[in-house]
Formats: sequence, structure tokens, C-alpha cells
Amino acid sequence: MKEAYINNQPYPIKEGETMLSFIKRHKGDKYVPTLCDTPNLDPFGSCRVCSVDVALEEDGIAKTMASCHSPIAEGQYIYPDSTEIKDLRKNIIELVLTDHPLDCLTCEVNGNCELQDVAAQVGIREVRYPEGDNHLEREKDLSHPYMTSDMSKCINCYRCVRACDEVQGEFVLSMSGRGFDSKIIKGIDQSFMESDCVSCGACSQACPTSAISDVFQSKAIEATETIRTICTYCGVGCNLDISTNNGEILSIQAPYDAEVNQGHTCLKGRYAFKFYDHPERLNSPMIKRDGVFEKVSWDEVYDYIAGKLKGYKEEYGADSIAGISSSRCTNEENYLMQKFMRAAVGTNNIDGCARVCHSPTALGMQRTFGTGAATNSIDDLKDTSCILVIGANPTDAHPVTGAKLKQFAMKTGNVSIVLDPRRTEIARYATHHIALRPGTNVAVLNMMMYYIIKEGLADDNFIDNRTEGFEDYKKELFNIDLNKLEKISGVNREEIRQAAIAYASAPNAMSFHGLGVTEHSQGTFTVMQIADLALMTGNIGRRGVGVNPLRGQNNVQGSADMGVQPHQGAGYLDITNPEVNARYNTFYGVDVPSHIGYKIPEMFDAALEGKLKAIWIIGEDVVQTDPNTQKVIKALNNTDLVIVQELFMTETALQADVILPGASFLEKSGTFTNGERRVQAVRQVVEPIEGAKVDGQILVDIMNRMGYAQPDYEAATMLDEINQIVPFFAGITWDRLGNNGLQWPVALDGTDTQILHQTEFKIGKGQFIFNNWRETEELVSHAKDYPYILTTNRELEHYNCGAMTRRTGNVEILKDDYLMINPEDATKHFISEGDYVCLESPRGKVDVKAKITNQVKSGVVSTTFHFPEIMINNITGDVHDSEAMCPEYKVVAVKIRKSKGKFKQLAEV
Amino acid sequence: MSKNLSELSGRKGIEDNLFDKMGKLAQATGTPSNEALDQLAKEFLVGTANTYGTASFYDFLKPENKGKKVYVCNGTACLCAGTQDAVLATLKSNFKEEEIGHMTCLGRCHENSAFHMDGKNYSGSTLKNIDFNAKLSEIKDKYLVETNGKPILTKTFTSIKTYYKPFLDALKRDSGDVLEEIKSSNVRGRGGAGFPMGLKWQFCRNEESGTKFIICNADEGDPGAYSDRYLLEERPHSVLFGMLIAGYTTHASHGIVYIRAEYPESVVIVQNAIDDIRAAGLVGKSIDGSSFNFDFKIIQAQGSYICGEETALINSIEGQRPEVRVRPPFPAQKGLFNKPTIVNNVETLASVHYILEHGGQHWKSIGTDKSSGTKLVSLDSFFNKPGIYEVEMGTPLRLVINELGGGFKSPIKAMQIGGPLGGVVPISKIDDLRIDFESFSSNGFLLGHAGIVCIPKDFPIIKYIEHLFDFASYESCGKCFPCRLGTKRGQELATKAINEDYKIERRLFTDLLATLEKGSLCAHGGGIPLPIRNCMHYFGSELDSYFEV
Repeated sequence: MKEAYINNQPYPIKEGETMLSFIKRHKGDKYVPTLCDTPNLDPFGSCRVCSVDVALEEDGIAKTMASCHSPIAEGQYIYPDSTEIKDLRKNIIELVLTDHPLDCLTCEVNGNCELQDVAAQVGIREVRYPEGDNHLEREKDLSHPYMTSDMSKCINCYRCVRACDEVQGEFVLSMSGRGFDSKIIKGIDQSFMESDCVSCGACSQACPTSAISDVFQSKAIEATETIRTICTYCGVGCNLDISTNNGEILSIQAPYDAEVNQGHTCLKGRYAFKFYDHPERLNSPMIKRDGVFEKVSWDEVYDYIAGKLKGYKEEYGADSIAGISSSRCTNEENYLMQKFMRAAVGTNNIDGCARVCHSPTALGMQRTFGTGAATNSIDDLKDTSCILVIGANPTDAHPVTGAKLKQFAMKTGNVSIVLDPRRTEIARYATHHIALRPGTNVAVLNMMMYYIIKEGLADDNFIDNRTEGFEDYKKELFNIDLNKLEKISGVNREEIRQAAIAYASAPNAMSFHGLGVTEHSQGTFTVMQIADLALMTGNIGRRGVGVNPLRGQNNVQGSADMGVQPHQGAGYLDITNPEVNARYNTFYGVDVPSHIGYKIPEMFDAALEGKLKAIWIIGEDVVQTDPNTQKVIKALNNTDLVIVQELFMTETALQADVILPGASFLEKSGTFTNGERRVQAVRQVVEPIEGAKVDGQILVDIMNRMGYAQPDYEAATMLDEINQIVPFFAGITWDRLGNNGLQWPVALDGTDTQILHQTEFKIGKGQFIFNNWRETEELVSHAKDYPYILTTNRELEHYNCGAMTRRTGNVEILKDDYLMINPEDATKHFISEGDYVCLESPRGKVDVKAKITNQVKSGVVSTTFHFPEIMINNITGDVHDSEAMCPEYKVVAVKIRKSKGKFKQLAEV
Repeated sequence: MSKNLSELSGRKGIEDNLFDKMGKLAQATGTPSNEALDQLAKEFLVGTANTYGTASFYDFLKPENKGKKVYVCNGTACLCAGTQDAVLATLKSNFKEEEIGHMTCLGRCHENSAFHMDGKNYSGSTLKNIDFNAKLSEIKDKYLVETNGKPILTKTFTSIKTYYKPFLDALKRDSGDVLEEIKSSNVRGRGGAGFPMGLKWQFCRNEESGTKFIICNADEGDPGAYSDRYLLEERPHSVLFGMLIAGYTTHASHGIVYIRAEYPESVVIVQNAIDDIRAAGLVGKSIDGSSFNFDFKIIQAQGSYICGEETALINSIEGQRPEVRVRPPFPAQKGLFNKPTIVNNVETLASVHYILEHGGQHWKSIGTDKSSGTKLVSLDSFFNKPGIYEVEMGTPLRLVINELGGGFKSPIKAMQIGGPLGGVVPISKIDDLRIDFESFSSNGFLLGHAGIVCIPKDFPIIKYIEHLFDFASYESCGKCFPCRLGTKRGQELATKAINEDYKIERRLFTDLLATLEKGSLCAHGGGIPLPIRNCMHYFGSELDSYFEV
């Protein structure tokens, strides 16, 4: 064992570690004071406070070296606290204090300031220098709803600049000037608000003083408690440390030891939490009588609901009732919701938002691999040489993973391929950007696979041993019409060939996909192709490879795992299978139906046909976010009893007959499963606001009212029920989850799984199932009259319908939906920046403000549906994925013209 | 020191260079516009904070440089010569105050009165005869170039054909053997640190990479030194030759000559030399039918002394702020664009030709055991015969001063040898020193670049200390705490002691020097205490009145 010495005592060294890490390991984290060093950034060597004396022999001639960036070598003698070193540290801090306000007592970070700690540690008592030039008069920047800066407190450690670069990859911060007058700048010496800051807060968390901070008390010491929980805003599943004082949330930081997010998170996770006690929170159950909501007691509302549901069940049968569960709720709540529908009501009419986002992923991957979940983990990026990002805009929609992908794409040795109609941020950095026409994923992927085989780059060994159906598949592939596919996709075939070669030649290649894959008429087929691409090139079953869907909502993976699907129960078990049915019957103690229930679009159709009497919707704004808004509203109006369990009076809640005030993620415990199958503990931070209830408890209460005995909602006991029935949860218990959760499948002994399909697939062999490209019905029927394609997308600042984020400071950063339009198209229609554009589809019209940009090609426009003022889904259509019924949000035939904003608020008309 | 920025800048290769573009964008008004910096950031996929942050670092890119038309040299030699007040007065009568900037050392130390205008340098008597209204033509300065032995670096250039023959011969030899030849010469870097050149090349050769770079550090910023300028302008082929051989032995195919903005004439001359050897088929792909490819690119610096530090220089070429990087990784492992890179000083590269022509052993036989070869010494205008002298390593300093330099013109009390970080040598120590690395370091000095600047007898040493701190503070990159703050506080202490009834606390001052020396990230902050300690040591009684008892 190799050793080096600290104060003449031998200690083992690790290959490649720095002196600082060596000393920290053996003497504790605080033994050597530092200012510019921080856990998630590369050594930088600016503060020099970590200097140590280094000799080659015991008490030999010592050289002073900064320990943070000097590698330790065998036999070195380190003296981390010799008199000279102590003096050096003190003298450096004394210099720092010559240009730092000495107002600790009134400073925001008093008691939580690294400079203060280090000054105390080195024992500084006075500043001997006469007063000289300083920068104490620098002005504060209070321009931004969250980020603040006070550069008079800056010590030039560059931690913020490095965090912005090395973690977020945004380059908003840098230094300007030089020497004594160098100072941190944002953009071209702008304010936070004027700059391109994405408000991730990495700089604020990195800052050792109060030079960069936020409007919350993230740096104050007022917190009495810090609770670790999981973010509600996307499938990344960031761990959050939430500080509270007497039941009030003060601030959120990201823990450095979180395997998912390593001390990083985004503006939604870190800052957009103030919705939780917003005055508009629903705080009482309500029943709509004569068109007016009346506040009622819980008892009254439960009796009302139970009575109605029992009545419908008796009169029209259990299938006249349907439920839509929420991917924002915990696994335990989703499990309860489907159990409620299946066991207490007696119907399989249970579905969730996965239907309108990743249902094709689950189905497609099940068909090809047998399991509808990510095969690998995000951490595998460390071991891959190529990323293929298809139909995903991760820097906006999955910001922490997006930042990692961007970091990957910035390195020249890495290959990154992006298939996206839009020039997204990740596309800007990509080696290959295939800017295909929306609706042609299948065409381009078939071309890629064609070239991989033609170039002899298929992994024959893997194909032979692990797959079935390749020969037929190859035959079909060789028959594709390259001329036609090249023409319709709008991408030169050579570009596609180069990308195909790059993917297939990479030693390890990972794919990531988002809703740009699934929300199409051929969504499931596209997922199958992505899976086949991995099979064809042997990119399955080891680290650094695989097929990795970027799941949208925080627990969309979990809700499907828990059985929120009309055809599969908890644990993806086929409800039509008699053995499975028998198992459910025994487990739930009642007869559970074995015929497949309604998918969400089928619920609306049934409602319009008068077959649906009651619908219970939890935490899902179907009116604003499901396609063809007017149809959804009609369907709800045609349903006798619409129960909406929500935090806010959403567009859907407005259509309800009964309102149940639920609880936010901050107010309950349970588990969320992130996009990499990681089941993580959600821990209650505060009590639900007065009048609201934990959603799980509401379900328990109603189940009891309906005569189905169910114990009170509690995360640990619910998990103990779930692990009995969901095979891949077998070893998951509340106590085992720890800080970083477990990735399913989890064996009984608690062993979890980072990589799926290592030796075999759940269905034995991976399946090659060919599908040819087919033009979407939307364009076949309407392209002639509606020549533009609208494709919908997401913005970083807002989450889905925006019910939560629009009630936070995020709305000050992004105030409305806007339409991206290519300069050529804008010119053609005399549209200037900021003008209203009237978008008209066969369903209706809306007006959206124009943003002229090259991010979209000519012929394509793009916008979001975060704001009810626009209600873009008034014009989206009824075309669905042929297999999973996921709506085609990504291809809407429209025509455009300049407008005066008449149709801006169509929803109110 | 951002890995990401290195990568992003490197994406476009060396021809489409971010820093080069910034320089061009500044040409019209003296600083690139914010719109142009924004556009550049988009083009290179970096932040506007990065392009702005970089531009604001450099004397000739920063917003304050806008509208500057003429620059006065404020280097040490011109300062000690006391010529610059007159220069400034003349310029003020022809230009508005805001049109006058300054440059630190134009390398006209031999005749002073130096200033820069319209991309050209002027010095000596020019000022008296100049008509600022007329279009000025280039006025070449003249200085003596002599040697005390065989001319090697100063040898007269004959023709491209003859001069590059050893290069073509080398291409026929195994590149490893050629490197062994260099190593056997034991030639040490002339940039200051004295690191063996062959070893540096070996490190780079050992790295596996399809892309490697050879950088010639022609950012001769040390006031008082103009020997590199001499080589660039009078012997440019010696530099290009050295780079070609460096490329051949380390498997690098890109050569970059990074020339300081203060030497505009050098840029033109070196470019002409590159064009000439390109015409002769000595640059490009498959040179002389071999498998060796090599091409050159000149990058013009934009006014920052710290860019002479090799990692700052690399950052500079990348368009990053030229702040010093931590080591490891060393440039030979991860340098320009994170690729293996050699950075050699002009004079070091110039030695290669002789070594290849005559053999490494031959070079080694010149000079002393540990300091082989010859060294160029720059003498300033306090000598009767100012100029560039090529001397064998080991030559007594007395000989250089008296026999070559012809003695001092006027009484002096000390010389600063080897740039602002070199030692301050009192005249009493002249007989103890010889021109070689060991002699200087064992006496508590530093050979450095071996530029000699004289401090006249009537020049107060406290003023000299103030000047040194002022220079160090002005040129500090600002990355490490000790240098950023310490050099500034040092200057303030000296200024206060000169101008006010203030006496410097001795313990504070020695603490400051120790903090700079031990704590600084690079030799800039780490080196400035040496001359100041020399001043304290040799001129203690003169300084006593400025310090507490």
C-alpha cells in the first residue's frame, strides 16, 4: 500500500487524488481551510488558503503548495499546519479582508459564511494594512425575482463562474477587467434579469459569501430543520434539502451527495415552491350547485360522492365510472387510486397522464425488450462515447439531465446526435443535428438503420445471440424508398448516413428520447425503432448504453408501475390474464374485472356518447393540456359527476361538480420513481394547508365510505402492501430507501438494478419488428388547406399547465406562451416580433405572440401550453398514436396570419 | 481555465480563432462593440460574459481603449531614463488627453523616448523630428548587435535553401533520434524558468493525440528585454526553424507564433518569413515528400504582460481570459484546446538550428556545465554601447558591462537584470556574477531574460519598489488572492510612505512578501518579492526612513 505522511504520520494514499482530498480523508473535511474549493467543481487554485508545506523527507526542506490542485505522491511529507503555513493563511485572509465589508453582524449570511468560518479558523484578529482602494461601494443587483447579487461581498473565488460553466454549462457569469479591479459579471456586465441567466441557482449555492444569493433565506441560519425530499417538477427526480422554520419553508438547496443531481437543480426545483401556500390554494371541498361552487365539509362531500358513485354503479354498472390519476402524486397514492377504481368501484377505467406523454414508450419498449422503462441510468453518461437525443429538449424540460447532456456535447471527443425539428439548445452543441420535418421520425430512423446495415456496422454477434426477427427486418429495411423518405423528412440523406455511422461506430452509445418521439401517430413505432437501433448495434445491457426515455412528470414512471393503466394492474400485470386476475382477486379480497378499461381519450368519447356518468380526476388539467380543448370540455359537461382533486382552480376544476382540495408534494410522504427507475423517498416538509388533505388520505376515506376497508394513508405501510403485489418492488421498504433510493427491480434482499437486460430480456430475445413510415392522417386530410405544421413544446420556466409555476416568481421570468416562427415565414405574412399571429386549425383558432427565430425551420411553428390565456389545445387534434392512443401534439396542420389578438382568449368566449 | 471553453474554442480549429477575431473587431475603434461580442459568443457557442470578460482584460481590447490613438511607453528602462515626461508633453500638444494610452515596454530600451502610433513604434530622436499631421512612415530603430565569441544566434542569415537544409536532413532521420540530439545539447529554456527543452519535447511526444501544438512564446513583456524582438525581426527563420523541428519530433502539425501587440513590426516580418518558406515548400502537407505536415499561424496579442506565462498564453489563444491555469495538467499533456502543447520562448527555439547543424554535443560544449550555449543580453541606454550582445554562458558580467557595453554613460547604483521579476543587482555585486543560471541564483538573483535595466544613482529605491509593485499589480491576472490583493497593497504601502507621513510596518511588509512568494499561483506574484528583497537588502539604509524602526 502506498503511503504519504501528514505531520510525519503515515497514511494510505489513493491513486490520482489531490493532497487536499488525502488530508480530508484522514483528518476530516474541515482540517484544511479552503475558500475556492467546492465539492462539485474542478480544483481551481485561486484562494491559496489550502496551501501546505511539502517535503521529500521527514522535516526536510519544505515547499509550499496549494493542496487542492497538487496530486499527492508516495513518500511525501505533508505539513498542513506548520507555523509558516498558519501565518500564510492568516496573511491571505487579512488581504481578503482589506477589500471586504466588515459588517458580519448585519450580513445576511452571518453564521453561515465560509469566509467568516475560515477567518475564525485561521485566527485573524486585525487588518494591519492602512485603508486603501476597495470595492465596497458596488451596487446590489435586485433585478431578478430570485437571484440577487452584492458584489461588495465578493472575494473573487470564481466558484459562481465555475458552477455556471462546469455544472450548468450556461456561461452567464465570467470575470471582467483584470487584477485588483477584476469583478464578476453577468453577460455583458448586465443584471441577472437582463442576462441569459437560466436561474438554476448553482452560483448562489456555490458562493461562499453573500455575493450571489437569492431572495429566499437560503444562506441564513434561521432554519430550524432541513428535510430531504424529491422534486415534483420532472422525471429527473432531483433531491432537495428543504429548510424550514416553525413549519414555514425558507429555502431549498441541492444536496451534494445526491446521486441524481449532485448538488445541482433548476429554477423550478430550487425556487418555484411558493405556490404551496399561495392564497389561491383550494382550501375546502366544494360542490357545484346551480353553477356555483359551495364550500362543504369533508363529511358532506364524502357522503355526496359515495352516494352518487354507488348509484351510478348500481344503475349503469361500474364501467360508467372512470378515474384519471396523477403523475404528480406519490406511488402510494397512485396505487391507491387504481386500487380504489379496480377494487372499490370495480372497473379498469383507470388511466393517467402517461397516456398523453410516454404511453408509447412503455408499450414500444415492452414490445421490443419486454420492459417499458429506461434501461440504464443518467450516471452512465460518464461511460458513454455517443448520445442520441431524439425529440427531446432536455435543457428546458429536464434541466439537470439537460445540463449533463450539454456538458457531454460540449466536449469535442464526444459524439452527440440530435434528431429534432427545432434547433434546441442541445442541438446547437451537437455534432449532428438532423432537423427533420415533424412527423418523420420513422422515416429518418429507418434510413439510419438502413445505412448502419449497408455500412456493415451492425453488431452481428449481438443480433445472433440476443435478438429475433432480424433477417425479415433487414429485408423490409432494404426496400425503403430513400428518395421519398429523404424528400419528406427534409434532410439530406448524407447527413443521416453520417449520423448513423457515428452512432453505430461509437464504442458505447446511449439514446434519450422525449415527447417528440411519442406524441405522434407513429409514436410507439418510433420507440420500437429506437430500441431496435440499440439492438442492432449491441448497445444494450452494459454501462454507457441503452434506451433512456426522459420521463416527463415527476412520477409518470411510478404511476404506470403502480397500475394506472386500463390494461395492466399494479406491476404491469395483464388484467385479462386469468392467473393474474385470480391473484388480484385474492389480494384485494374482491372480484376485480378482467376486461380492459377506457384510455383517457376513450373516456371522453364514452362521455360524449353518454356512457360515462362519473369521472374522478386527480391533479391533471385535462382541459388545458389534453388535445382539442372544446371536445374535452363538452365531454366533461356531458358527464354527470366530475370530481376534481386539485391544488388550484384549474381550467378542469372550473368544469367540475365536486372539488377536493389535495396536498402538494411538500405536504406529504411517499415515493416518486424517476426516469431511471429510481424509487426515492418523498418526505413531508410541512403540514397540508388548512382545509386541504393528503391525496392518499382522501382516497382512503372514500374507499372506507364505499365500504372497502383501507387503513389510513402512511407511506411505509402502503409500501409494505405494494411490495407484496408488484414483483419488481419486492425488496422496497421505506427504511431501505435511504437518501438515494433504489432502482427497480429490487430483489427481496434489497439489491437494486442499475442496468436492465444484461444477460437476457424479460421476453427472452429482443424483437425486431419493422414498421414503415406513414404520413399522419392530420396532414393527409388537412395539409392542403393548412400548410404549416404546429409542433408544441415546453419552456424551462413552466411546468405543464403551469398551475404551480404560474403561481411563483417564474411567471415574472416568462409571462406568456409565444409562437416561434422562422424569419422567412414571418416576412411572408408581414409578421413582426411581438405581433399576434392567428393560428387556425380544423378545430379552431388561437392568437399567439410571435417570436421570430431560426430555431424553427420555414414551414414549422412551435409554441407551448403553459398559459390558459392562449389554450393552444383549442387547435390540437384527435389524431393519436395508432398503438397507445397518445395524442399527436407534435403535428398540427395550421394556417397562419397576422392578427389583432381577437382569438387570444377563445376559452373565455 | 474552463475545459468547456477550451473545447468550444477548439472546435473551430486554429484558423478560425476567437481571440484573433476579437483583435480584428477592435481595430476600428480600439474595442469590439458589445453587439460584435454578442455575435462572436453565439458563433462560438460561449457566453457573452466570456467574450466581454476576455475583451475587458486586455489593454488594447478593453472598453477604456476606445478612441486611443497613441501610446506612451511606460516600461522600466524608459522610466529610469526619465524620457517619458517629454514624450507625453509632446503628444499632449498633438492629441487629446483621452486619445493617449500607454504600453508597457516597446522594446526600445536602447534609446528610450518610445511611443506607439498607428501600429508602429517610434523611439529615440524621432519625437523631435516628427510631423504628426503627415502620414508617418516606418522608422527602423538601430542598435548594436555584437558577440564575444562565435556568432550562433546572431549569425548572418544566408538563404532559405542553405538555412533549412538541416531541417530537410532531419526529416530523413527518425524523429526520435532528432529529439535525442536536442536533448544531448542540454539546452535550457530562455524564457526564465530554465527548464530543459528536450525534456519538455519528450513529454509532449509521449502523449497520444492526433492534434498537438507548438507555440512560440513571442510575448516578450519583460521591460528591458528586446532580444526576442531582435530575433523575430532580424532572424525570423531561426524561430520558424525551431518550431518545425519541435513539430517533427513531437508529432505536432500546428505552429503558433504568439507575438505581443507592442511589436507590430515583428508580426509583419515573421509573416513574410512564413510566406517565404511556404513558397519554398517548407510548410504545408507532406513537407519535402515526407509524412510530416506543419503549418504556421500568427496570433497577435492584445496587451497583457501575464500572457507571457505559458498557461495564460494558452488561455489567451483560446479567447479565454488569460488567467493562469493550475498544473497538473501540464501543457505538454493538456494545453491549447486541451491538446498536448509545447510552449517555447523565441530564443530557446532559435538555438535549435545550431544544434541540428553542429550536433547537441557541440552546443553543450559552449558555456558552462549546467548552462550550455550562448545567451542574448539586452543593454539599455545607460550603457555607452546599448544593444544586443550574444555571449557564451559563463561570461563575467563585468566583461559584458565594460568591454561589450562600453561602461555606463552616467552614474548608476544598481541594475535590474532579467525583467521585473529579476533581481536588483547593486553595482557592488557585479564582479560576483557571470551570465549563467547558477551564478545568478546562487547570489540571490535571477538570470531570466538577461535584459539589463540600469537604475540611476539619483533614482530613489523606494520609487523603484513602488514601480515594481505598480507594474505587478497592473499586470496581475487577478486569479489568485495573494497576487491580486498583495501587489496592490504593496504598491499602496510604498506610495503612502513616499507621499505621506506614513512609515511601513516592517513585519507587515515581510509578511506581505512571504505571502506573495509562497502563496501565489504563478511566478508573477511569486517572483515580485525577489527584486524587492534585493532592494531591502542592498539599499536598506536608503529605505530606513520609510519604515518603522
